[in-house]
Amino acid sequence: MAKLSVSDVHVRYGTNPVLKGVSIELADGEIIALLGRSGSGKSTLLRAIAGLEQPTQGTITIGDKTVFDHGCVNVPPEARNLGLVFQSYALWPHRTVRDNVGYPLKVRKMAAPQLRAQVDEVLDSVGLAEYGDRHPSELSGGQQQRVALARALVYRPPLILLDEPLSNLDAKLRDEARVWIRQIIKKYGLTGVFVTHDQVEAMGIADRIALLDGGQMVQSGTPEELYTSPNSFFAADFMGLNDCFEVTIEAIGGEQATCRLGEARIVGRDKSGKRPGEKARAVIRVESLRVVDGPGPARVPATLVTSVYVGSRWEHLFDVAGQQLRAFTTSRLPDAAHHLELPNGQLWIF
Amino acid sequence: MTRPFRIGIIAATAVAIFAPLLLVLVQSLLSGPFFGQNVHVTPDAFTYVFTDGDFWRALRNSVIISIGMTAIAVPVGAILAFLFVRSDLPGARWLEPLMLAPMFISSLVLSFGFVIAFGPVGIVSLWVRDMIGFVPWNLYSLHWLILIAGLTHVPHVFIYASSALRNLGSDVEDAARSTGAGPLRVVLTVSLPMVRPALLYSAVLVFFLGFELFGLPLVLADPQGVLVLATYLYKLTNILGVPSYQLMAVVVIVIVAIALPLVFLQRKLLATSDRYVSIKGKAGNQRRVAIGKWKWPALALIVAWLAFTVILPVAALVFRAFLSSWGEGAVLSESLTLEHFRELAGYPNLIRGIVNTFLVASVGGALSVGLYALISLAQHRWKSRWATFLDYSVLLPRAMPGIIAGLAIFWVFLFVPFLQPVRSTLISIWFAYTLVWMAYGMRLVQSSMLQIAPDLEEAGRICGATGAQVSRYVTLPLIRTGLMGAWLLIFVTFVREYSTGVYLLSPGTEVIGSLLVSQWATGAVDTVVALSTINIAMVMGGLFLLTIFRKKQNG
Repeated sequence: MAKLSVSDVHVRYGTNPVLKGVSIELADGEIIALLGRSGSGKSTLLRAIAGLEQPTQGTITIGDKTVFDHGCVNVPPEARNLGLVFQSYALWPHRTVRDNVGYPLKVRKMAAPQLRAQVDEVLDSVGLAEYGDRHPSELSGGQQQRVALARALVYRPPLILLDEPLSNLDAKLRDEARVWIRQIIKKYGLTGVFVTHDQVEAMGIADRIALLDGGQMVQSGTPEELYTSPNSFFAADFMGLNDCFEVTIEAIGGEQATCRLGEARIVGRDKSGKRPGEKARAVIRVESLRVVDGPGPARVPATLVTSVYVGSRWEHLFDVAGQQLRAFTTSRLPDAAHHLELPNGQLWIF
Repeated sequence: MTRPFRIGIIAATAVAIFAPLLLVLVQSLLSGPFFGQNVHVTPDAFTYVFTDGDFWRALRNSVIISIGMTAIAVPVGAILAFLFVRSDLPGARWLEPLMLAPMFISSLVLSFGFVIAFGPVGIVSLWVRDMIGFVPWNLYSLHWLILIAGLTHVPHVFIYASSALRNLGSDVEDAARSTGAGPLRVVLTVSLPMVRPALLYSAVLVFFLGFELFGLPLVLADPQGVLVLATYLYKLTNILGVPSYQLMAVVVIVIVAIALPLVFLQRKLLATSDRYVSIKGKAGNQRRVAIGKWKWPALALIVAWLAFTVILPVAALVFRAFLSSWGEGAVLSESLTLEHFRELAGYPNLIRGIVNTFLVASVGGALSVGLYALISLAQHRWKSRWATFLDYSVLLPRAMPGIIAGLAIFWVFLFVPFLQPVRSTLISIWFAYTLVWMAYGMRLVQSSMLQIAPDLEEAGRICGATGAQVSRYVTLPLIRTGLMGAWLLIFVTFVREYSTGVYLLSPGTEVIGSLLVSQWATGAVDTVVALSTINIAMVMGGLFLLTIFRKKQNG
């Protein structure tokens, strides 16, 4: 049974359509990442689920309760019984940590001793047992983020929504927090929706990724599916570090397209639906590109333009038939003629 | 807050706003007072007013005064703002708090001060005459009225121009300098255009306030028989022997018809000036412009302005309150006395006026702020036609000068049966004050509400709290200090208000402001100066508390 079901949701700001019909099914205990650039509608979708935006069309169901059905049902945010961690954390500056975390229980009229016990337990589970009497301004960014999570978890909502919760943390803290948030959501057995613009974050935290662009869902699947078989140029380009270049299709056979890049011939997985003779865009992950010594199948001659040393590797810029391609190696390259190998399983033609 | 609750509050506010004006509209089309016998619908009142030479003269004077004071206040205000905010003027930090003083002192009290300082036998006039043999000015002339009106409205321009200049980072000017533009060219092509919306806005504001002028023309122009719209209205009260309500209603409609478009224009200008906010560059690291040898003339200009518009009139007035009499040949040492203050005690209505003023300003002011907060909460973060409707509705009382609003509300209390018993209580005064200052008060409250990030309130809703619970737990506690500051400002505003209470003046509803108007008419100068001094003291007290409060907040 789907824990969260969003079906054909449209949202408009004034006359400007922000979501143009998005549908998502989320199973119990699953974590989904809504991934996209700013303006893709991912935060709006989250806010629509939370009840903070009013869709102009569509239905939203949480568990077996319909919380929004355009024109007949619109459950207010406070009655949707879900947790939301804001990007800004939205901790009330005039209340202590304990008051912040305890407020959801207070409005649910829980008795004081039980409330205190439950708040202490959740504070303990986020590692802030000592900090209950402080005010949010007396905590570090990472601690504030954990308070925000504690406040969203304390009443055990079946569904938790996180709106770019890591974006205000510095890089190192972000890596730790990502692992930790996934653990705690799984530990509490919650269903999670996680909004982010960072594909590494999305892959690291979610069981499934929904990629949004321009108010529409572009592709959805496991992180592996999205990374290894993107179904559009946008999806391919958005995930990972890529080389994108233009080729001319020569022949199409089954799922394979044979293309011409300069004088060389390369073969990639055809996703273009184009005919021979047409131009197409080719995408390959930078790490799949190999620098090799001599010519051969799936290899193109390349001239080294420049090299940069970034510690863990060398990053090179090559000129291939007038187009620029990046490639990585572990050691310095000599100033000589080179070839690049583009393995055909990892090259997509759009 | 639930939807019906919000709508209820907005609808009630709208009734309070529109009822007085509707009554005025109906009254203007009747042949006599709306409560009279044998009253019928007729355009006679309009015919009478529009064929009355005095009306056209008053309208013309109002237009001339408005234009004249705008022409004085805007350049002076803009120059002073530049000197204070962007130049290395010596002593700017000390002088700046004084710049707003004319806004806080009742313009009626200030007018008395001008008469006592610069009138034909004024303290400064006589002093000048002793030195040069004659008084080189005649205070009771239209020119002087325009000059005084212009100079006392400089703060209205200063406040907007200085905040616009403060928000303007030096970086946008530096950027222009780096492309090769000279300093004067930068001022003309970058700095000035960027504060132009603020200047335009304040010009419309001052022009509009020109039509509202009541205290200054009543005291300074009336003795010469020079009328403006507001004093024409005031004179109409008894022109036909019986209260000529229908004629007054027509004048009210004329004034509102002039003011309303100006208020809408202001709103439009404010909206466009917000557009400039995003492109203002980084404020904060402002470098001040060295004005070199112009420093001292500039300082002299500011001190002269301060002396003329605030210090001399107020000092003369307060001084006069402690003199038994003043005139030619009066000897100072024998004249010092507390008699005028003692005399006040002999008049119960004056004592009531002082007590009432304090009550309306303190308790009433707190209630008003509470009401403004409630109404603001009703439309807070609510994208709805109702909220927009309220937004525009509160502009209406803004377009009603105090004397007009007071009159219209007086009629409402006369007209609505269940309100009649309250007419002669302080409640009517409080209601009128609250309505007249609604736009101002709501802006004070809303500006602190808008500083709360929407997230903080949304987080409350997500946690399971209803809108009302969120208001109590999050919004109100967070704007507590803002409300406190608003209360102190409203206190000062209510203390100095004088025109709104004029028509509501009756035994039990006396306030210092309306008493001053009526006492001045009877020529009781001693009472007027004593009451004015008390009024100034109350304003100062309020400002003192406000300063302490702000210091505490910042420190």
